[in-house]
Amino acid sequence: MIVLGSTSEVAQAFVEKALQEGEKFERIYLFTSNRETTERFARHIDVKFLQQSEIIELDLTKTINYSEFDQINSSVLFCATGYLGEGTEEGLYDNKNTERIIDINYSKLVPVMNYFAQKFESRRSGTIIGLSSVAGDRGRQSNFIYGSAKAAFTAYLSGLRNYLFEKKVHVMTVKPGFMATKMTEGLPLNPKLTVTPKKAAECIYKAFKKQKNIVYVLPIWGVIMLIIRNIPEFIFKKLKL
Amino acid sequence: MKPNFTQKVTNWGNFPIVEKEMRSEDSFKKIKEFVLNHNEVIARGNGRCYGDASLGENIFSTKKLNKFISFDRLNGIIECESGVLLSEVLEISVPQGYFLYVTPGTKFISIGGAIASDVHGKNHHAEGCFSEYVTEFKLMTENGDIIICSREENSDKFWATIGGMGLTGIILSAKFKLKNIETAYIRQESIKAENLDEIFRLFEESESWTYTVAWIDCLQKGKNIGRSILMRGEHAFRHELTGNDAKNPLVLKKKFSPTVPFYFPNFVLNALTVKIFNFLYYKKQSKKEVKNFTDYETFFYPLDAVTDWNKIYGKSGFIQYQMVIPKETGKEGMKKILETIANSGNGSFLAVLKLFGENNPEAYNSFPTEGYTLALDFKVNSKLKKLVDQLDQIVQEFGGRIYLTKDSMSRSSLTAYLKNVNSSKFVSLQHKRILNNK
Repeated sequence: MIVLGSTSEVAQAFVEKALQEGEKFERIYLFTSNRETTERFARHIDVKFLQQSEIIELDLTKTINYSEFDQINSSVLFCATGYLGEGTEEGLYDNKNTERIIDINYSKLVPVMNYFAQKFESRRSGTIIGLSSVAGDRGRQSNFIYGSAKAAFTAYLSGLRNYLFEKKVHVMTVKPGFMATKMTEGLPLNPKLTVTPKKAAECIYKAFKKQKNIVYVLPIWGVIMLIIRNIPEFIFKKLKL
Repeated sequence: MKPNFTQKVTNWGNFPIVEKEMRSEDSFKKIKEFVLNHNEVIARGNGRCYGDASLGENIFSTKKLNKFISFDRLNGIIECESGVLLSEVLEISVPQGYFLYVTPGTKFISIGGAIASDVHGKNHHAEGCFSEYVTEFKLMTENGDIIICSREENSDKFWATIGGMGLTGIILSAKFKLKNIETAYIRQESIKAENLDEIFRLFEESESWTYTVAWIDCLQKGKNIGRSILMRGEHAFRHELTGNDAKNPLVLKKKFSPTVPFYFPNFVLNALTVKIFNFLYYKKQSKKEVKNFTDYETFFYPLDAVTDWNKIYGKSGFIQYQMVIPKETGKEGMKKILETIANSGNGSFLAVLKLFGENNPEAYNSFPTEGYTLALDFKVNSKLKKLVDQLDQIVQEFGGRIYLTKDSMSRSSLTAYLKNVNSSKFVSLQHKRILNNK
C-alpha cells in the first residue's frame, strides 16, 4: 500500500483496519513530511502486525525527485494529504498561506497522484482512494481557499475515475465531513456530525471493499451537502456559512 | 476560526465536571512546549479513574501517545507509549500466549494511568501491583526534559511516580513484563458465603489461588451481613479445555457488546432496585459451589461488556469508594462499614471485597497495604457526603486509607499518604483539594 500523508490519523487508522482485516501488503510505503511521527507509526505496525514498511520523505512545498519513487509499486494508494491553513478572516489575503493550501491540497499533490496513477494504469488493477472534503462541494465564506482546492481535487478524482475505469483501476473519493483530528482539534464541531478517525477508517474500508465511487463518511453529510449545493445563489451569498 | 481548547472534562464517574483546557499532542517537542507554557499541568489517560485525580487547570491528554514501540515475543517484554490501553496490549499479547501480570477491573485504562495509580487486581496477594512488572518508563519532568526511570536509573523518580497520581511529570512510554499463558480461559470456582465470617474464612483458605475476589451484597443486615459470593480462578492450561476452545485456545470468539444509549433518569437506581438486583445476583447461583471455565474477558472485565455503563447512574454521576483496613482489625472494620451502609439505605450496585497481600515498601505511594479492601459505588445525591463522612470516620479509626484513583470527596487525612510529589508544575484538582483541606 502507498500512503500519502502518513501522519494523518485517518490514514493510520485505515492501515490498521486493513491489516486487522487480514489484507496482505508486502510493504507499506509511508510518504510523509514528518519523519519522527511516521517512524513511530512504522514501528507500531511492525510490533502489532509484523508489517514491514518504508518511510519516504515527501514535502509538497519543495521540488520533487520522482526517480526516488521508481521502485515503488502497490495495488492500493491511500491519499490523506491535506492542509487546512488559516480560514478567511486570518489568512485570506496572506499569499503564503494561500499558496501553501493550494499546493498541498491540489497543485503539487496532483502530479504525485498522476505519477502513481500511471503505474496503476500499466498494471491494469488496483484502487486509488483520495480524501477530499465536503468543503469542496460549495465555496463558503469560512474556508473557501481550502474549499476551492478540495473542489479541484474532487474534480480531479472524478475525472481520473472516469479515465481509469476502462483500465480496470478503481478510484474512490472520500468526503469525511467533520473529523476529530489534529487538523480540527479545538474547533467547535457538532459532536453529532463528527466522527473519530477510527470510525471514519472503518467506513472507508467498507466502501473500499464494495468499490464505492463517492463516499460521505457520515451519510447525514450527503444530505446536508445536497441542501447546501441547492440553495439558490442569491440567498446563499447572504448566508453566514 | 481560532481553536479553543477549553472543554467540559469529567472522568468515569461523571463527577465532578470541570471546564478546563485539554490538549493532546504526539510529538515530544510539542508536549514540552505545552509543559513549559502552562503553569499547572496534569496528564490524563483514558479518563477511567473515577474522581478528580486527572483533572486540573491544564490537562494533557495522552490519547495520541498510542503507539507500540517493541515487543520481545520470546521473553514477553513489551514497550509502548503511555496512552496505549490495556485492551490494546491484550489484543496483541493474548494470541501470542501472554497476559498482563496485573490488571484492574477494566481493560480500558492507559498504561500511563496504570503506573500513576499503580493499579492492583484480583491477584494482589500473590503477585502484587502493576509496578512489580514495570522495568522502566520515560518521564517528562518540569523543565521538559525526558528522563528514563527504572530501579537503577533515576530510581527516586521511578518510585515517586509509581502510584504518584501524575504529580511527578508526564509518563511518555513504558516497558513492562507479561506473563505466560497457555489459553485465554480461566478455571473458576464460585462459592456462596452466608455472612462475613464465612467469606473471611473462604478468603484465607483461598490464599494459594492466584485470583480471588468477592462480590458482596451490601444491603444485608443482622446475621446476613456480608452475604457474598467468592470467585477464585487460575489461568487454564491447554489440556484442561475441551471442544472448540481447545482447538484455538488463545483466541476468543467475538461477542456482542451492548451500549447504554443515554443517561438513565434518576429514579431508575434507588434503594429498592439495588436491593432487587443484589437479591437476584445472589440467587442466580443456586448451588453453594460452581466450578467452570470462563474466558478472560468475562472473568476480569465483566463490566466492560456493557459500553458506557456509567450512564446507568444518571447525569448526576456516581463515586467509587475504595478503602483498605489493616488485616488485624479488618473484619471488625468491614462489619462497621457494611452496617453503616445498610442503615443509610444508600445501596451500592456493585460492592467488591478483596484481601490484599503484603505491599512493596519501595513503592511507597501505592495504595494497597496488607488488609481488607472494599470497593463500592454510590450514586451522587444529597445524602452521599454525609455517608462518605461516616465511612471515612470508620476507616480513620481503624487506621485505613482511601484509594486516590477513585477519590473525589474523602477527608484529606485518608488520602494524604503521597510522598515526594509536590511540584509547582504538575498539579491536579485532587491534590489541591487534599492540600487545602489538610
